[in-house]
Amino acid sequence: MATTELPLPALPEAHHEERGGIVDYLTTVDHKKIGILYIVTSFAIFLAGGVLALLVRWELATPGLQVMGENTYNQVFTMHGTLMIFLFAAQVSTGLANYLVPLQIGAADVAFPRANAMSYWLYLFGSLIVLSSFFVSGGPAAVAWTAYAPLSTNQFFQGTGMDLWIIGLAVVGVAGILGAVNLVTTIFRMRMPGMTMFRLPLFTWGVLVNQLLILFAFPPLTVVFALLFLERNFGAHFFDPTTGGSPILYQHIFWFFGHPEVYIIILPIFGIISEVVPVFSRKPLFGYRAMVFAFFGIAALSFGVWAHHMFATGLVYLPYFSIMSLLIAVPTGIKVFNWIGTMWRGSITLSTAMLMALGFILVFLIGGITGIFLASPPIDFAVNDTYYVVAHFHYIMVGGLLYGMFAGFYFWFPKFTGRRLSETLGRWHFITFFLGFNITFFFQFLVGLDGMPRRIADYQIERWTSANVISTVGAFLTGVSVLIFLWNFFRSIRRGEPAGDDPWEGNSLEWVTSSPPPSHNFHHLPEIHSERPAFDYRHRDDPAFAGAHTDPERNLDRG
Amino acid sequence: MQPSRRAPARWLAVTAVALAAAGCTPQSVTEQGQAIYNLYNLFMYIAAVVFAVVSGLVIWSVVRYRRRGDELPTQTHGNNRLELTWTVIPTVIVLFLFVATLRAQDKVLDTPGDAQVNVTVTAFQWSYRFTYEGTGAEVLGGPDNIPTMVVPVGQRVRVKLVSADVVHTFYVPQTLFKRQAIPGTVNEFDLTFDKEGIYHGQCTQFCGLQHAQMVYRVEVVSQGRYQSWLAETTRRGSAGQPGT
Amino acid sequence: MTDEAGVLLRVSIFGFVAGIIYWFLSYEWLGTVALLLLGAGPGFAGLILVQEQRHRGGTGESRAVALRRLAGIPPQDPPGPKDLEAEDLGVLPLPTIWPLAAALGFTILFTGLIYGLWLVILGLGLAGYAAWGWLAAVNREHRYGRLEADTEPPSPAAGPVGDPRPYPDPENPQPEPERSER
Repeated sequence: MATTELPLPALPEAHHEERGGIVDYLTTVDHKKIGILYIVTSFAIFLAGGVLALLVRWELATPGLQVMGENTYNQVFTMHGTLMIFLFAAQVSTGLANYLVPLQIGAADVAFPRANAMSYWLYLFGSLIVLSSFFVSGGPAAVAWTAYAPLSTNQFFQGTGMDLWIIGLAVVGVAGILGAVNLVTTIFRMRMPGMTMFRLPLFTWGVLVNQLLILFAFPPLTVVFALLFLERNFGAHFFDPTTGGSPILYQHIFWFFGHPEVYIIILPIFGIISEVVPVFSRKPLFGYRAMVFAFFGIAALSFGVWAHHMFATGLVYLPYFSIMSLLIAVPTGIKVFNWIGTMWRGSITLSTAMLMALGFILVFLIGGITGIFLASPPIDFAVNDTYYVVAHFHYIMVGGLLYGMFAGFYFWFPKFTGRRLSETLGRWHFITFFLGFNITFFFQFLVGLDGMPRRIADYQIERWTSANVISTVGAFLTGVSVLIFLWNFFRSIRRGEPAGDDPWEGNSLEWVTSSPPPSHNFHHLPEIHSERPAFDYRHRDDPAFAGAHTDPERNLDRG
Repeated sequence: MQPSRRAPARWLAVTAVALAAAGCTPQSVTEQGQAIYNLYNLFMYIAAVVFAVVSGLVIWSVVRYRRRGDELPTQTHGNNRLELTWTVIPTVIVLFLFVATLRAQDKVLDTPGDAQVNVTVTAFQWSYRFTYEGTGAEVLGGPDNIPTMVVPVGQRVRVKLVSADVVHTFYVPQTLFKRQAIPGTVNEFDLTFDKEGIYHGQCTQFCGLQHAQMVYRVEVVSQGRYQSWLAETTRRGSAGQPGT
Repeated sequence: MTDEAGVLLRVSIFGFVAGIIYWFLSYEWLGTVALLLLGAGPGFAGLILVQEQRHRGGTGESRAVALRRLAGIPPQDPPGPKDLEAEDLGVLPLPTIWPLAAALGFTILFTGLIYGLWLVILGLGLAGYAAWGWLAAVNREHRYGRLEADTEPPSPAAGPVGDPRPYPDPENPQPEPERSER
């Protein structure tokens, strides 16, 4: 199998070999640096949101207001949700996508590198606007991350903090839409020859679907924020029933964005798991085409289920949203079964990345199954807006998102930095995280079934105390696990074992280039004949694989 | 670190706790809630089986297929029949759950004919007012007064739920039911209590500063006691709220 | 039709079908409009892609290729160049401060909606200045390329999809580069 040698272009070297200076990062249009900026910024916001979570848990451990007053508590949980969902969860995947997608498709950068930079700066400045609400009089918003009208209108909640919240998030939303245009165009148009759509790695597919979702889900969010802002500041009455407006209008538009948002968050993570599991099972991904179609099935269905967040309103057509929500279990189940199929009869190495991926599958299983419960309106009537829902979405968001994110970090850290993260510290990270996470959230299912509502600063029912104490202990243990990761990260950046180009025997194109990649990404590009170009390249001289392109369309090993 | 040896033990522990959770749904104290309770248990049995099977497969494959050498395993790409099976079976399960859902839903939301007791519940920041239609009785809650909604056992209570300001909820955990109170809308539902007692109620839709204090009670009494309470409350004008 | 057009058109069909079914089940306006727009957006984009492909010539898939696909025979690899120049992978812009400046101006503009017209004007000014600088940089790099003026311009070999045409320079007319199928 031939490789094509790329002559290095005759460009001024100074522009390409600088690394790490402030000016370098301020003016960069290199997708790799922009990806690092996204990841670092979103992780910093994650730490801030995590501190807010610990404050919540500290207050809720026992009945009575010990640590803070009601208003402060309401601000803390509002900003916890806001930082985590809007400013961290969707952005860390965007960072990984920015770094990896051009590498995985064999391109030198994204389609619009300058606009890519602008997207990052819009995200950063928008986030700073949101964070500045902590410092204005009245403090930050205290209306929950969903900011339902009429509570969030000027009539019931005054203060600049709320307006800064809206404006900051609107700016971040614009950043997201711009980034989505960029990444979708890149994936559609900048694949190297031979990289057909059905040879794309699953992470890139996950990013494609995720960015398409952003393209169609973020505009409604911008709209609802614009409506809310007009109502707060310019006398509009969209949500005021006394003058012909409709509170339920807010809920409809918000959730038309809000449900796809959670799939926006999780789909790239599915992509990460679909990269990690095959590599550490030493087998191709089981059912590649089905995995791609499952992505689209999930994405399409995600637009049809928004009102399952509104079952308790009594104002939505229940059966339609119920069946659509239940049906999402089918493509999601396909994914889980295909991951198992990949591991089955494989040759599994339990690296930290793989441990995180396995933790993801187990924990996401619980989160997904409890989602099925919530898809049934009668059951939802019992448990909606209780800690059952809180536990459900934390199993997905913390269990799903964080395990997947850490799997991605342990997997790709060598590619980004040229060094490995410590596997020993990684195991400690995994153990403390697995224990801490389950201890924190499992008991919330039970106390939610018992009727404990969410978003309360305090509770009066004594028997809820034990579950809350356990949950708080778990939360602090989870915090310790994050500290272990940070220790691992800072230690390995400087003293980690050198990794080489391909420490894991990876499948996708980024493993063919150096760690970290050169500024134009590739010195050599192999020919692409399957969805595992790095694997094919490694086995190019292996007679066992001669002529047998490992092509999913070949139907060689299908039963 | 021997994760493969701890893995089966971990799996057993998690499954056991998950199954234990099945017993933790509150029993319903209304007829309508009974349908929800049964539906929940149906979902739980299926969920427990799915969880046990899938997590078992994950743990087993990790234990059984650990890397033992440098040889590459057979590079299987897929299996059409298997993939079809695990697409069809979940679809069938999901459709079954949907039909069960519809049946339960009808029982929960049905409001046939007239009810014996009609209460208008007005939710406001941060308590409730219960107005018994056709009588003069009213119960008003406030910052220092947790209102109690007294209803007779065995009789259909029709609640008309409205809000005076923002979105609230009417939720009594032991009825396994809740409904939002949305300003500008009247939400109607029935509750037929079949067990006497005092039940805790709370607002679950975040509604502002004292959302956590927005609690109330539903007291289910015999029909005789209800009639006498009603007469007394009507005569008094408004129960339990000083200075209103 | 290309894979990309296929993706967009399938999303579009879903949006229309779901929207129509939803309307007749619920008569609820907002969800119906939202779903129909979900159909219209990617539908529009998908149709443009199909149109553009037709304009470029060929239906994207010859009869022979379609028959191979339906028979389950794997497709032949599309012909690609054997000597990929770095520039063929895409023209990389030089580092620039203008995206940061534009983002800052835009954010200031939006924040001005809270604090007053004066801040909106300030933001507009900065964003405008950044837009001017940005366009000037783009113009400069297109006209002269990323290379110094006296080195070879990129070869007009058939490049992959993202190959943007250099800004046409009347003193140095270059042949139109061929465009590959995707």
